[in-house]
Amino acid sequence: MADSAVLQPGLQQPRWQVDRFIVSTALVGLALLGGLIWLETAPFMVALFVVGTVLGMALYHGAFGFTAGWRNLVVKKRGAGMRAQLLLFGVTSLIMVPMLHSGQAGLVGAVAPVGSSLVVGSFLFGIGMQLGGGCGSGTLFTVGAGNIRMVVTLVFFIAGAVLGSIHLPWWLDQPGFDPVPLVSSFGISGAILVQFVGLGLIAWWVNRIERKAHGSVERDELLWKSQGHGVFRTLISGRWPFTWAILILAAGNALTLAIGGAPWSITFAFNVWGAKALEVVGVNMSQFEFWTWDYPAMALKDSVLTNIPSVMNFGLLLGAMLAAGLANRFNEASRNRPEGRQFLAAVVGGLLLGYGARLGFGCNIGALFSGIASASLHAWVWFASAFVGSLIGIRLRPWFRLPN
Amino acid sequence: MREETVERPYSRTRILVMLGIILALIMADHLRSPTFAFNSGQGNVETALSQRDETACAPCGAPCPSTRD
Repeated sequence: MADSAVLQPGLQQPRWQVDRFIVSTALVGLALLGGLIWLETAPFMVALFVVGTVLGMALYHGAFGFTAGWRNLVVKKRGAGMRAQLLLFGVTSLIMVPMLHSGQAGLVGAVAPVGSSLVVGSFLFGIGMQLGGGCGSGTLFTVGAGNIRMVVTLVFFIAGAVLGSIHLPWWLDQPGFDPVPLVSSFGISGAILVQFVGLGLIAWWVNRIERKAHGSVERDELLWKSQGHGVFRTLISGRWPFTWAILILAAGNALTLAIGGAPWSITFAFNVWGAKALEVVGVNMSQFEFWTWDYPAMALKDSVLTNIPSVMNFGLLLGAMLAAGLANRFNEASRNRPEGRQFLAAVVGGLLLGYGARLGFGCNIGALFSGIASASLHAWVWFASAFVGSLIGIRLRPWFRLPN
Repeated sequence: MREETVERPYSRTRILVMLGIILALIMADHLRSPTFAFNSGQGNVETALSQRDETACAPCGAPCPSTRD
């Protein structure tokens, strides 16, 4: 049976209330898991757990959705969400490209091969984004905030990721070439400049679409101040202006690189969770080539608490839960129970997301955001292919009774 | 002062059960891991705390196309 909350009557808007149960539960979860990571692994993993938590709060409070940003541009011809993403990529590459090439040992960028696997994977991922209702980070933070349909998306995301891992070696045998780090051709400053030109061209295209449809461009992505409340209340309960979220996400990715040695990624953890689940029911994952490669084999064998994407994902889930509790909006998206076709969209979308993420070497975070922050050509190919897939996904949404 | 109640769209019990299950799964996975064995005093196990494979071509550990020829 559902529990009840007390609201004060007679007010135009409900007074801000913290959902104490959700906040307490999230804090206890963070303390328990953080303590376990501290006891059993190493302090740097606790730091990454905290970074994951803050990123989860920023994604929720900033309402930073890649999927909705792309859809708003296509359907409503509004580009603020898209421009916020471009700003994020620009700021982060300005910080991380020099970091990666500073000569410090042990730092590895998010660079990946360019070929059939990448194009097909990111294209499928783009369709999945619109049907599943989120990308990698979007799926996780909405699950953390209690969205039931997104739990279905996540389960099938994991299933699709495992299937993708089984098929990836075949896809890698198809035409493709080794990673292309832009720094090799243009140097550090040149690579940043080339990327800025690319981001600027996309921003110009986005502005053109918006101006053509509405006559002017809204600049929501440049807001520093919340429109409703003071700074403290906005910080605690949201909604954050885009600028805050951009700065926190950029700093979070840079910190992840500095602490963990590689940029932020999400979906590899889904592979590990799914493969571990299959091993529990008796499937020998080492019969599949992917799980014999060093990194996946190590991750599969050892605890999830030693796997950086897993630990950060746990933090992200609990961070989003905490933020939703502070905003008193936990599970709000599930007030209207989804109908059958919407659940079917979550199943199909989740499978495409997972399969596509594995073939495309990550999601919007691992392949696109961290890829551009590492000045890797594959991120740009991923961006273009996923956007085309997303256009198809948007067209398919009405059939699944999903609003556009 | 009159107060009205609204239904919360979730069940506290269900949330606690779900989080409990996730924590139990994490614990079960950890208790049978090399890292836990190492922490329990078993010296000859290799843990994977720093897992990044720097020789891999992609973040997931995939090899480069050129090495697959």
